[in-house]
Amino acid sequence: MAEAGGFVRSDPGRERPNLQFHFIPALLHDHGRRTAWGYGLTLHVCDLLPKSRGTLTLTSPDPAAPPRIRANYLTHPEDLPVLLNALKIGRRVLAAPALAQEAKVGGVLRCAMEVKGTKDPRLADWPQIANVYRGWLEYLIQYNADGTFEGRLLESWEANADATVYTLKVRPGVTWNNGDAFTADDVVRNFARWADGNVEGNAMASRFPGLVDAATKSLREGAVVKVDDMTVQLNMSESDVAVVPNLSDYPAAVVHASFVDGEDPSANPIGTGPYVPQEVSVGQKAVLVRAPNHTWWGGTAPLDEIHYIDFGTDPSTMVNLAASDEIDANYETTGDFIEQMDALGWKKLEIVTAATIVVRMNSATSDLYKDKAVRQAIQLAVDPKVVLELGYNNLGTTAENHHSCPVHPEYAPLPAQAFDASKLVPALEAAGIGGAEIEIISLDDGFEATTTAAVVAQLKDAGANVKHTVMPGSTFWNDWQKYPFSSTTWNHRPLAVQNMSLAYTSTGSWNETGMANADFDAAMVAALSLADADARREQMAKLQAILQDEGYIIQPYWRSLFAHVKEGFNVERHPSNEHQHYKWSLA
Amino acid sequence: MLIFVARRLGLMLLSALVLTFVVFYLTNLPPNLEKLARSEGSVRMTDEAVAQWIIDNGYGGSVIGRYGQWLGVVPGWSNVDEKGVPRGRCFAAGSDPALAPSYCGILQGDWGYSTYFRGPVLPNLGEKLGATGVLMLWVMIVMIPTSLLIGILAGMREGSRTDRVLSTFSIATTATPEYVSGVVLVALLASPVTGLSPLLSEWGVIDGKILFQGAASPDRITFWSFTLPVLTIALYGIGYIARMTRASMTEVMTAQYIRTARLKGVGFRQVVLRHALRNALIAPFTVIMLQFPWLLNGVVIVETLFNYKGFGWTLVVAAGNNDINLLLGCSVVAVFVVLVTQLISDIGYVFLNPRIRLS
Repeated sequence: MAEAGGFVRSDPGRERPNLQFHFIPALLHDHGRRTAWGYGLTLHVCDLLPKSRGTLTLTSPDPAAPPRIRANYLTHPEDLPVLLNALKIGRRVLAAPALAQEAKVGGVLRCAMEVKGTKDPRLADWPQIANVYRGWLEYLIQYNADGTFEGRLLESWEANADATVYTLKVRPGVTWNNGDAFTADDVVRNFARWADGNVEGNAMASRFPGLVDAATKSLREGAVVKVDDMTVQLNMSESDVAVVPNLSDYPAAVVHASFVDGEDPSANPIGTGPYVPQEVSVGQKAVLVRAPNHTWWGGTAPLDEIHYIDFGTDPSTMVNLAASDEIDANYETTGDFIEQMDALGWKKLEIVTAATIVVRMNSATSDLYKDKAVRQAIQLAVDPKVVLELGYNNLGTTAENHHSCPVHPEYAPLPAQAFDASKLVPALEAAGIGGAEIEIISLDDGFEATTTAAVVAQLKDAGANVKHTVMPGSTFWNDWQKYPFSSTTWNHRPLAVQNMSLAYTSTGSWNETGMANADFDAAMVAALSLADADARREQMAKLQAILQDEGYIIQPYWRSLFAHVKEGFNVERHPSNEHQHYKWSLA
Repeated sequence: MLIFVARRLGLMLLSALVLTFVVFYLTNLPPNLEKLARSEGSVRMTDEAVAQWIIDNGYGGSVIGRYGQWLGVVPGWSNVDEKGVPRGRCFAAGSDPALAPSYCGILQGDWGYSTYFRGPVLPNLGEKLGATGVLMLWVMIVMIPTSLLIGILAGMREGSRTDRVLSTFSIATTATPEYVSGVVLVALLASPVTGLSPLLSEWGVIDGKILFQGAASPDRITFWSFTLPVLTIALYGIGYIARMTRASMTEVMTAQYIRTARLKGVGFRQVVLRHALRNALIAPFTVIMLQFPWLLNGVVIVETLFNYKGFGWTLVVAAGNNDINLLLGCSVVAVFVVLVTQLISDIGYVFLNPRIRLS
């Protein structure tokens, strides 16, 4: 097992080497008597010329009796300094560049994740869908786990003062995996795809209001201009600060000219990225392999293959797969399973995010919640601290019922709310709905269920007639915007205005509350014209106050997100659940 | 005999027809179609877009008419969507409708397109059936010898201590449904945090973290991963078949001819092996054949529990995602399996028991 060794002097003044090194390409504890998990290497050192002396004596006249051995290690004062020097030399060896290097090229990583059918990126409605096509489709701009934005297919970009003109510089030297060069034409064509509001379910369409012609619901003439082969200019009709984050969100993957709108991108996987899909079996697995005959502009992505294994939605199966070495990493670890995965000896990856759950009323689909006083009383009857503890095991921080998080650059602190459950019943009676049944709908599993249950329990304690209805994921999401009162999970987005404009403006495509407040809409328009976050904060204070005051949402906490990875792999936890494969490697 | 088989086949076709129509009707209820539209299109579609999607994709019109298309007795739908792309049941979107056949139902051998798997139903279903077949095979290999042995040992001396112990075991296993025994087995043997595995791992008895794997994959069938799923299904059947065998065995052991054999001085071993066994196995044969439909039932639970991608799992995802063609395919297969095993059981019975005539 010892593949290399050497003799060295503990200090240069010595005549002869007195230390011996053994190098073993494996983890070793206690001379291999204890099994070590994971990959690693061991550098073992011993003092060959110790000055300490021990004794070996007989214990009885019986020749079969074991002798008494006294080692007397380190009893001579000169031995300890020698060993300390030995350790220092060993550390110098291990810190040598060849051993300390980070990414190793090669290897396969198996990640547990739901494999949903890949669809046209702009129609994608789950980050998991995007994580598969991320193998070969890349983005103009990337949102990194540390909150920064980085140009990928763009080399750089610039915005003018009021965020109406953006100049995008295309990265030179990028090619598609069929050999075509990536140019400004590709950028312009993709903007036209994104801006097409006539395509039902186009997640990108509502994100570029300044580029769209309201009459034709498609890209306005002159809005996206090719300046030269490597430069594109966006001429917005209104200010928009969210252009950069929107270009980095998961539906904004850039597709090739040959892509047929609405088709499955894995059928003809032409992209700029380092991998191609070898297999995408819905509900079973997806395999990404290195794109053949393709020089990726980013160099060499470390991993040879990435396998996504679909284990269904039961996290205990995921723990089991982890324990039986069927997977190396997972998409997400939630709730009680965090401890279980820790117990397996896996690395815990944690990231504090603006991901959250919103338990919201909808005044458009139910008469119960048309009265603002009723909504406010319900909101204030629920203490976020209790919900965070019961619903999410305190794995996050409390929020303030306005969907703007301290991690957002434009967050404005508001005075704390006063929670009072005793006002709920009088408020319901005043509105004439004293005994009416309040039905709250949630998913049947996971933190969505426990969080909703914690809300339900508090409203019950406050004296309301509340019923908790649970649904499996396959039926829950069909009508998620229309339930009178239900819980919805919201992913992390880089800017607070992004979620707020999607969910609470009267025209927001994901408005699930029925809220239509003219002041809010106006303040949102103002906020979206201020590219500077500090300048935007004033409007944000207004937006937060209105949203909180309208009482539509109980937004109890911000989630810290977790995932686990086996020792020996480098994987990054991203706040938006993005898998940036080229950053992954064997350790 | 031939008339009997023909009548049985007729019955099978009729059952398949009725069952598939019921499934077709239920999966084509308007809310289910809306759900399908949202999962296929996008969850963000408006109600109008959903309605349009339903018409564009051939789910409009009468249920009977669409059922006829699936059968292949009514010409398949075709239309042109708002982008001018021709779409239809019998050809891929965008290709020339003139070249496609006008009928493409199950009678023409076209099982349709699975919206969940995003591919034709038949190869997907075939692959999954193969996976379940392997599971079933191992269940049978474990279940039949074990249960017959237990039943014979228990039945040859009614009331003995062996009989009581084995009967108690049989009743206990058959009284425990798969969804209970499966969960208990996983918690006991396959969890890294509860049951025996953490103990064994700490003592160093097992190398890994768990004794048996709590999930199985058709790609990699090993003793380690297959033990628990096979055991879960087999345990239930073992108890049932063992009790039937025991009942049959005790009845045979009290028969006149056994007493005569004993009085002639034939050894007990000889009496059991030569005289009692053949007659005692007639009843278990039918029971074993009738177990096939039951196994299908168990397979749904076990494949979901152990995440084994076979027929049962397919049935669950097809139902969960309202994948109409896949669900219909599953129904046809289920009817076929149930009725064919019954047919084999009836015919086999004739050979085992000469007193029965099939007419």
